Amino acid sequence: MVNPVLLIVVPLGFAFLIPILSLLSKKAAKYIPPIPLCFNIVVSLLLLPRALENPVVVSIGGWQPAFSINLVAGPVGILLSAVVAFVGLLVSIYAVDYIREGATDRYHMLFLLLLTGATGVVLTGDIFNLFVFFEILCISSYALVAYAGDKAGIESAVKYLIQGAVGSSLLLIGIGLLYGLFGTLNMADIAKALQSPSSLPVFVPMALIISGLGVEAAIFPLNGWLPDAHSSAPSPVSAILSGIAIEVGLYAIARVVFTIFGLSIDSTSNFLMFLAVLGILTLLVGEMCALGQNNIKRMLAYSSIGQMGLILFALAMASSYAVVGGLFQLVSHTLAKALLFLTVGYMTYRTHSLDVSALAGIGKRMPITSLAFTIGAFSLIGLPPFAGFPSKLLIVRAALATKECLFFVLIGGALLGTVIEAAYFFRIVQVLYFKDGNTNIARKQVPAVALIPIVIFVILIVGIGIYPKFITGLLSSAAAELLNRVDYIRNVLG
Amino acid sequence: MKPQLILLIAFGGAFLTYIFGKISSKLRDGAAVAISLALVAIFACLYGRPLQESFYWGFLGLNLSLRLDALSWFFAIAIVSLGALSIIFSLRYMRDRERTDFYYSMMLMVNAAMLGIVLSNDLISFYIFWEMMSWCTFLLISYNQHRALDAGMKYIIMSMIGSVAMLAGILSLYVSFDTLLIPQIASSLATASPGYVLFVLVIFGIAFGIKNAIMPLHTWLPDSYAEAPSPFTAVLSGMLTRMGVYGLLLITYVIGGMIGGTGLGSNVSKFNYVLAWLGALTIVVPTFIAMLQNDAKQLLAWHGIGQGGYMVLGIGFGVATANSLALAGGIFHTLNHAIYIVLLFMSVAAVQYRTGGVRDLNSLGGLVARMPVAFVGALLGISGLIGLPLTNGFVSKWMIYKALIIEGHPFLAFAALIGTWGTILSVYKFLHNMYLGQLPEKYKHLEKSPFSMQLPIAVLSSAVVLFGILPGIPLRVINKICTWLGFSSLDVTIWGFTSETGTLNTINLLAAIVVVSAVVWVLFHRAAKSVVVAQDDNYAAGAYVPRDKYHYTAGFYEPLFTMLRPYLRDVVDEFYTALAGAVRKSCGAVRRIYTGDVGNYVTYIILFLASLILVQLRWRPW
Amino acid sequence: MTFLENYVFYVGAFGLVLIGLFTILVKRNLIKAIIGLAILDTGVNLFLISVGYLARGTAPIYTRAEQGAQPMVDPVPQALVLTAIVIGVAVLALALALAIRLYRHYGTLDLRKITEQRW
Repeated sequence: MVNPVLLIVVPLGFAFLIPILSLLSKKAAKYIPPIPLCFNIVVSLLLLPRALENPVVVSIGGWQPAFSINLVAGPVGILLSAVVAFVGLLVSIYAVDYIREGATDRYHMLFLLLLTGATGVVLTGDIFNLFVFFEILCISSYALVAYAGDKAGIESAVKYLIQGAVGSSLLLIGIGLLYGLFGTLNMADIAKALQSPSSLPVFVPMALIISGLGVEAAIFPLNGWLPDAHSSAPSPVSAILSGIAIEVGLYAIARVVFTIFGLSIDSTSNFLMFLAVLGILTLLVGEMCALGQNNIKRMLAYSSIGQMGLILFALAMASSYAVVGGLFQLVSHTLAKALLFLTVGYMTYRTHSLDVSALAGIGKRMPITSLAFTIGAFSLIGLPPFAGFPSKLLIVRAALATKECLFFVLIGGALLGTVIEAAYFFRIVQVLYFKDGNTNIARKQVPAVALIPIVIFVILIVGIGIYPKFITGLLSSAAAELLNRVDYIRNVLG
Repeated sequence: MKPQLILLIAFGGAFLTYIFGKISSKLRDGAAVAISLALVAIFACLYGRPLQESFYWGFLGLNLSLRLDALSWFFAIAIVSLGALSIIFSLRYMRDRERTDFYYSMMLMVNAAMLGIVLSNDLISFYIFWEMMSWCTFLLISYNQHRALDAGMKYIIMSMIGSVAMLAGILSLYVSFDTLLIPQIASSLATASPGYVLFVLVIFGIAFGIKNAIMPLHTWLPDSYAEAPSPFTAVLSGMLTRMGVYGLLLITYVIGGMIGGTGLGSNVSKFNYVLAWLGALTIVVPTFIAMLQNDAKQLLAWHGIGQGGYMVLGIGFGVATANSLALAGGIFHTLNHAIYIVLLFMSVAAVQYRTGGVRDLNSLGGLVARMPVAFVGALLGISGLIGLPLTNGFVSKWMIYKALIIEGHPFLAFAALIGTWGTILSVYKFLHNMYLGQLPEKYKHLEKSPFSMQLPIAVLSSAVVLFGILPGIPLRVINKICTWLGFSSLDVTIWGFTSETGTLNTINLLAAIVVVSAVVWVLFHRAAKSVVVAQDDNYAAGAYVPRDKYHYTAGFYEPLFTMLRPYLRDVVDEFYTALAGAVRKSCGAVRRIYTGDVGNYVTYIILFLASLILVQLRWRPW
Repeated sequence: MTFLENYVFYVGAFGLVLIGLFTILVKRNLIKAIIGLAILDTGVNLFLISVGYLARGTAPIYTRAEQGAQPMVDPVPQALVLTAIVIGVAVLALALALAIRLYRHYGTLDLRKITEQRW
């Protein structure tokens, strides 16, 4: 009997082990993070069969669910915690070589803390607990953005911190209001008590919570921090921020909207439609901003905004196909964007510049890395046979299946965004391969340690693209869990 | 042989070639040729053996299946043959270039993707292969660097627009009918509302129209053709662009029950009339633009667009009026055009190879003496392009003209004829400026083309003549396609075909032409009193012109240029360029949202929240 | 007057929240913005406390529950606030540390001049 609590406790314990261990040996720190993350993957996989049958609910401290903090390890939670652990593991392997300067032990500690926070957010069944894990995630990411200590990093971290702090305050006010209304913090309990989300006393906390989480999830008007933070952070951090942190934020929004406030397509409330519009707006703004970028990491960051918009749009459609598509897109974006940031990390390391034009001719110097970048980019655009294609297909299909004019228009916008995205990614592919550039850069591959995660990402992206069945089963039960509020309440409260 | 095995060979071959390239370039070349020839052999053996098989159920619960019928065999055999010829052609052409491993594996990959397209029996595998073809093409177009980069971008953006439209169309069909198998969609669509049918037609029409470069959607083509590596240009012009034609035929099949009808099917007719008129426009304008080109590949590229117009005209008109003659003409023209345009691009490439990449028509000339095989190829190629009797282009064009005249559409027929006149003018310039006239001094010592270039040229030249004299060979297959599409059968013989208003019989034509030319030859030979004059002797009324300074080929058609040029601007391209500029500008403006001032960002957050609550307070929409 | 009596803590809490937000929005100086954050935090904490507040309630200690019939305040928000305070402190400490580094890089703390990262 494996306990989901281990998923949080073990990385947390290892995180605090690192500074102690680094007193003994400075070099040991970088080998620590993979251990708990491997452990997390194993635990997630062990929990998976049980979670697919019935969500595993654990109450901490032996109290009854409604009164204690509880963890709900359903299909979504296990799926996302596995993704977090897996991507975290690969990025931490990459970081073994990449992170050389500065206080490396602190980097690795913060890295593990960030992943702990992310895992906590996806597993928790208590809304205040959600806030706490969110703060763990956010604070460690502020610090990680500033890790390099350069001008850009510090500036971005400060801006990120201010916006993030305002966002979390809004979230906390929302949680306080909910507690005031219902006298409980358990998500299932609140959900049980809450009838209509559109009455004003309930709407205000919902608006506050969505705005608060929306800052972290990079929804359009709330995402001013993202391009700065993702482009200035060290590349493994960008990979984690783009691949994990914002996705987790989006998951939290979906959980709150679907489970606590019980918005669904049959309910009279059309707040979901508003979220869908917001998603497409986010998508278009992100892609349009990315189009003219000359800073490659900033371009990737804007592309993340765009992808978040697409996922939000898919989730907001709230049909089972759409949510499967949204979660699929979430997974494929995580893989692809992490891959892109990792490859770009070494490319820019070689060229000493973040400029797109500086990448000219890299295709010849770093063939495998460039190939990996190309595959990641193609996957993000949604070209077959890569992982982005089936997810985009599911989303478009779900939008057309709604048979509503609004969604037809919105999906048209999404497809337009795809074209813009194709425009800038194909441009980079051209620069990589077909432009003659600086020949001073040595023809040298990425070190083997960093190559392993890159290759694994590539294999996964191609594998999932060719054989999506690999994850669709899990995704559809995850989507069912996310949408089925009644079952969630029953599972938690018994 | 199972169709999935064929695709496995095709795609696996592409990967193997790349890996072999890392070992030795000889091995790679051998593998590439062997794989492409093996595919030709496979398809040759598969003639007349329909196949159908589901190959994969794992893709999101969709049933992916493959089929081989008359239509796909027809296209597949053309794809693999032309692919094999251009691979053989590449052997020398690409020998000293960089990244040849990449080049060969991409060439094979493009061929494999095209095979996938024509073999797919359901729309989702069709789309998958379509997209793979698009990005492989993009990579190959960009191969030449520099100007090729812009061409590649133009191509991929237009292609993406087409494919997102197609994706929407495909998924809309899926949502409506809960199947993606092409035969099932065909039977479901028969009961759909006329408006929906029109929607399907338009959205697929956009997708295939972009690929086939129908007039307002053609702008990617000239630059891509001109800048791509020449052997790939051959593939691109011969078959890849014509995947659009294949797509149009597929739509024709899908709407099979509504062809030429009134009432429910009238939207189909209207759409196809529009298509036919667009085809006519596509014939006329690009053909005259072609005349203005001084770049051999650009000139051919514009003809590629123009000839595509014939296909669209034939198919659109055939569908609109349920006329199998026009339809068969359109399909046949696809094959014929593929043969001669590949031939022409190869002959240009042969010249490029020897002259070091020169394709400017003003600086070449007289190469007939140096490169006779390439010249013969070019000559037969342009004969086919013009549609001279006894070459293949004649038969298909004749079928289209005839259908247009029988059905009483003089304006369309006139457009098609005008296109032919323009073609004659411009390809004469092409032939003359390259091979005839004076040989520039610096090319005096060119060697003739290597064998690996002569072979494909010779094969294609003989195909031009063969299909011109014996059109019955391909027409039998085309006739099968027509009946499969639900059209009435043509009466095909090996020499031609008979229809209610007359018979085309190429053997009579051959006999007539042989007799006439014999008579002419005898007359001239007997009655001639001419003196042989050196070519540069009769110039300038006896005034002295240094032998090497004067160049006949510069400024060909200059008076015509000045007359036509103002009317022949590519307005569409200018419009798209302006549009792209506007998009880029507005994207730049949107970026200004992220001012960099954290106060603004916090304002956004607060305003977002405040407006949410305010809207709910005031209007209670949520 | 009853409104104020019943809601005085809420009014105060939201007053602090608004002051905090206003400071962050309007003040150019990073230190002042951080002070704004602190005020915002305090406001939120006060709000949480007042959610659980009961006029004339006693400390919620179970062992003393039998002693009087007095109502107890809700203990949960107080636990929450303890956590929130800790988080707030962490954020503020990090913010101040970053402010020092920022000043070293830019020689100013004027947020409107620190806009190298934009567009």
